[in-house]
Amino acid sequence: MSDEVKWETTISDVNDGILVNLEKPSPAYWVALAAAFSLVVLGIVFWARQVTIGMGVTYLNSPVYWGVYITDFVFWVGIGHAGTLISAILFLFRAKWRNTINRSAEAMTIFAVISAGLFPLIHVGRLWLAPYWMAPLPNTNNLWVNFRSPLIWDIFAISTYLTVSLLFWYMGLVPDLASIRDRTRGIKRLVYGFMSFGWRGTAKQWWHYEAGYGFLAALATPLVLSVHSVVSWDFAMSLQPGWHTTIFPPYFVAGAILSGCAMVYNLVVPIRWMFKLEKFILAEHLESCIKLTLLTSTIVFYAYGIEFFVAWYSGNPYEWALFEKRATGPYAFYFWVMTFCNCLFPLLFWSKRVRNSIPISWVICVLVNVGMWFERYNIIVSSLVEDFLPSSWGHYEPSPTDIFITWGSFGWFFFWFLIFCKFFPIVSLSEIKLIMPKPWSPKKLKGAAKHGAH
Amino acid sequence: MARTKKSDQGIIAIFRYLDVVCDAIERVRERPDFEGHEVFTPTSYHEIEHACGFGSSPVRFFTIIGALTGTVGGFSLCLLMDWDWPLVVGGKTAGLPSLPAYVVIGFECTILLGAIATILGMLVLGRIPNPKRRVLDPRTTDDRFGIFVPNVGLDSPQAALLKECGADELKVT
Repeated sequence: MSDEVKWETTISDVNDGILVNLEKPSPAYWVALAAAFSLVVLGIVFWARQVTIGMGVTYLNSPVYWGVYITDFVFWVGIGHAGTLISAILFLFRAKWRNTINRSAEAMTIFAVISAGLFPLIHVGRLWLAPYWMAPLPNTNNLWVNFRSPLIWDIFAISTYLTVSLLFWYMGLVPDLASIRDRTRGIKRLVYGFMSFGWRGTAKQWWHYEAGYGFLAALATPLVLSVHSVVSWDFAMSLQPGWHTTIFPPYFVAGAILSGCAMVYNLVVPIRWMFKLEKFILAEHLESCIKLTLLTSTIVFYAYGIEFFVAWYSGNPYEWALFEKRATGPYAFYFWVMTFCNCLFPLLFWSKRVRNSIPISWVICVLVNVGMWFERYNIIVSSLVEDFLPSSWGHYEPSPTDIFITWGSFGWFFFWFLIFCKFFPIVSLSEIKLIMPKPWSPKKLKGAAKHGAH
Repeated sequence: MARTKKSDQGIIAIFRYLDVVCDAIERVRERPDFEGHEVFTPTSYHEIEHACGFGSSPVRFFTIIGALTGTVGGFSLCLLMDWDWPLVVGGKTAGLPSLPAYVVIGFECTILLGAIATILGMLVLGRIPNPKRRVLDPRTTDDRFGIFVPNVGLDSPQAALLKECGADELKVT
């Protein structure tokens, strides 16, 4: 598919084309940065209010102690997954189109996981005590942490994921930072030279680099599949109806990749426009991203169906009652938003016209992200409100604090992403050169054409 | 003084085309008078790797050692804490480790240390960071290939051979 892409540019245009534009982005960039920053400020204000007044401002109370914050946590971890999928799994599959968007996808992963990491800290209230409770340290009774607890698994999974994603991303950046170093002077050159570890681009360095990159991709592949599985065990290992199902790991992973692919599209389209990257990120590459979104959307659709089927087929009345209530009860609104946004709207992507229309696809991708947020909310809240004890049943709605901190996390995510776009090559320079026509000599090209004619 | 350390003094030949530089590498790589030469490439073309005659990179030993250390470390972490102070749940016998639960920790540590060791391997084997070496030609991180030969001048037979191989430009570094 992408092998037949017609490039109008050659490898000689890459560094000039991409790096020059980074130096002077369109005014829209500054508007977006300011908007993102104001959302961060909004989030900080409401978080400060929560720390001052107490957790009561969040409406979290028995039986729902996991509300919007854990929804946000799962949502952001999920967003991160497409980055690793695109950079590691598609690398192993040799999907060439990934080379144009993998850098943005990896950056998205890093900032999404950092955003996710904020939420357990916000959620514990007195976050200055959190490292003590979460790290494997003996407590006052000299007990160690319980390694049978999925929450401890989660700490290990998320911190490993963040570290490995950072390494993978930075490793990819090293040769590109060297390219920037070689075009700049003075203090800038010094800074980029330092950040690129003095990369010289010798054939030996590339040889070890390629091998290392392959191994990192091979390590990151099981990691990306495991991280959201571990996140899903935070729920599935409990006995709560609606959570206690074996389908959760694959279902969460598919959902994570769906929301992540949609988010990659949502990010790459404006960035491509702001930094004039149309000659490098071609329409075909964007379409491939949409195809991946469609694929994962159908998997998610199937998982929703199977989840309902199993709830009914299990013969477990509690499980079935909960599922029936999800679709018709007080949280039906969330359920139907989730179904329409994740399952039905993406079906429009079967049409090539829709896939190739960037504005329509962009809007559908936004809807998918809305739907995926609602999915997590639906899973977490509608299961918690009604457990085995009808006397403790309750109701939960998000408070303004939750909502504004959630918006703040979006601001935080976009803010860092935009900062990254300004200072680092948002398209991987060395990798996009690999998928462009190779710089063969005219003699060889002539020979190949002659050979082809025979 | 015999030069045992790598030096940046010498000549660099700049090439524009991938096939031309590959032919040149194949011609010079075994010659004793090109001892210590270095090839520069803007990205990791496999043609160059083949022309240089590289096999499998030893980075793989770093990866496997790191990963196995992680596996052992992850399981040990859980098991030692379990033996130090068993958390007895549901009356189960203390001292019997719940290995399935520890697989997660073992797995995560495997990936973590494997990845860190891979990066270290790449840095150590690629000899970076090395503040003593400098960039010989900024174009080699853009769109040109280069072959560097240490300790020779522009009037040397090595320079003549590189020119014959189709170098676009030769210069003293």
